[in-house]
Amino acid sequence: MSALFDNLQVLFQGLALGSIYALVALGFVLIIRATNVVNFAQGDFAMLGAYAIVTFLVGLQLPYVVSIILALLVMAVFGMLFNLGVYYPLRNRSFLPVIISTLGASIFLQNTVLAVFGPQPKPLDKILNIDGIQVGGVFLDSQYLVILVVTLFAVAFQYFFFEHTLLGKKLQATSQDKDMARLLGIPVATMIAITFIYSAALGGLAGILVAPILFVSIGLGSIIALKAFAATIIGGFGDVTGAIVGGLLLGVIESFAAYYISVPYKDAYAFLALFLFLLLRPQGIFGERVSEKA
Amino acid sequence: MAPDKHKAKIAARSGYLTNFMGEQSMAVRILGRAMAAAFAALALSALAADPIHIGLVNETTGPNAEAGQYTVNGARLALEEINAAGGVLGRQLELRIEDNQSTNPGTVLAYSKLLGEGGISAIIGPIRSTQVQAASPTIAKSSIPSVIGGTDPSLTKVNNPWIFRARPNDGYSSRVIADFAVNSLKLKKVAIVHSTDAFGSGGMAALTSALKAVGVTPVFVQGYTNNSQDFTPVVLALKKSGADVLATYMTNSPDVGIFAKQLRQLGVTIPWVGSPSLVTDTAMKLAGSALHSTFAIADFTPGANPEAKAYAEKYKAKYKLDPDVYSAWAYGALHLLAAAMEQAKSAEPAAVRTGLLNTCGFKSVEGKYCFDKNGDALHGYNVVKNENGRVVFIKTITFESNK
Repeated sequence: MSALFDNLQVLFQGLALGSIYALVALGFVLIIRATNVVNFAQGDFAMLGAYAIVTFLVGLQLPYVVSIILALLVMAVFGMLFNLGVYYPLRNRSFLPVIISTLGASIFLQNTVLAVFGPQPKPLDKILNIDGIQVGGVFLDSQYLVILVVTLFAVAFQYFFFEHTLLGKKLQATSQDKDMARLLGIPVATMIAITFIYSAALGGLAGILVAPILFVSIGLGSIIALKAFAATIIGGFGDVTGAIVGGLLLGVIESFAAYYISVPYKDAYAFLALFLFLLLRPQGIFGERVSEKA
Repeated sequence: MAPDKHKAKIAARSGYLTNFMGEQSMAVRILGRAMAAAFAALALSALAADPIHIGLVNETTGPNAEAGQYTVNGARLALEEINAAGGVLGRQLELRIEDNQSTNPGTVLAYSKLLGEGGISAIIGPIRSTQVQAASPTIAKSSIPSVIGGTDPSLTKVNNPWIFRARPNDGYSSRVIADFAVNSLKLKKVAIVHSTDAFGSGGMAALTSALKAVGVTPVFVQGYTNNSQDFTPVVLALKKSGADVLATYMTNSPDVGIFAKQLRQLGVTIPWVGSPSLVTDTAMKLAGSALHSTFAIADFTPGANPEAKAYAEKYKAKYKLDPDVYSAWAYGALHLLAAAMEQAKSAEPAAVRTGLLNTCGFKSVEGKYCFDKNGDALHGYNVVKNENGRVVFIKTITFESNK
């Protein structure tokens, strides 16, 4: 019985961390689809989201819900600025200058936050007032439960938004073929700006959700982003469903491997999985169009 | 005027003076002597006006700038005390602070700068082992004693006669953890959880052999990489091991916070004795109640001895901050240097070195400083307990130095 509970506990933790990877991976994928470029500052969106919520919740003592809304708004505005400053000036160049530009932005953001907030990591209260619930021999952390539920809603919202709204369809059209979209009268630059705004908010959301567990620190984003990036490749580079499945899968794989094989190599399993996928199924689980990228 | 006549005239005058003085009252004579002495002292201090220069290689900028500020606070407080009490050997002390940017190359550069300017009697070096390691060749060539705070045991064992340590090294931390768990708590089923970095693995190895020395084999040893997001597998395995006491060498405060919370969530409540990271301000803030009732070892803690108590009060009054090890060790180091100079009756670097080596029994914030042949001054740790978020002193465990 206790072995079963232990396995369920490990599964729960893996799914919860996996959903965080999935949220950040989603942000990755949306930008990849819209611009053909990997945004290396995607993890820092999560870090900024976490610092934004600390500022509103702890600094200004606002209620939690208000703080979340304000932090997401800040992230949306930031996404727009990021598009204007980091992507837009280089939009007609090849992908390399843009990638370097996002890398530079990442370093700049981390050091700016370091200068403003200092190096000490900060604690943050959980969204719910309880620590968690005990179900049999399994402890369900309330924040992890919130993460799972919110991720589910975020994915459902995303599906509805992209498949059933005009704006979503315009965004899809832009990501599929920019020239054709332009010919059809879709404002491509605006669509890309919206993608950045949405993606920054999504990354920020991941940071806000995970901050009570991993604490608010400069390195918060880089830890998650690396795994999220692996998740996008496992799921299928540029595939939305793939990002979600890849993220969850990665979380579960590393949790069980750490439990059954060895803890210090936990991070290695994630990348071993990545390696195996690149070797055996380079297009990822859902990817098919990998040949036309690159 | 003929020379003889001149001599005679002087002799007559001095004779007259002598006679005149001889006829004076006792009081006037004493007054005269006191004045003469005062003038002499004034002349002497004017001649030896240059103060004694002590270098301080400090993390003024960079990621550890906060700790660097505390170090300067502690050193300044000691400086004021020493100078207010008349300085060292009648000379005032002066601090020359060089920034090492919290990096290894920065440390070497800061040393070069101090040595290039010259005129320095001793240097207070970095508190980070890696920075000391980087500067070790420079320190060896400098022929100026450096008092360091890095706790890697190997730093004082590289045949560098100019490195002195004013904190206990990590070799003692594992012995104190083992001693406290086995002899004070009387618990023998020890579980070890450690970071896999140099500090954590070194600590684990030292702790395993320290336990062996008291006849105990750990029932569970588990490493983890820094910045782990999830400790569930570690905690589940720890539960299964049947351990009755937990010993940890954890490097980063966020890891301590996450681990502590998950331990409590999954129902582990066995006594926990950890390396100093358990009682850092950050770890205690992050973990909150999850760290209550845990033990940790610390080289500086305000309640450990009268010197530490007095220091804590003065520091709080002056800076409105709680004293910590960064400020305390530097405060102790400067007082230690002053004492060594007084003992050697010289501020020459070579004499200061001998003075330091001969120092044994000097009392300051970190306890009784007694240098062994390697240059290690402290040979034990304090055990402290986190009581509802307050760090409370439990006991000091000290070992014989191999002098």
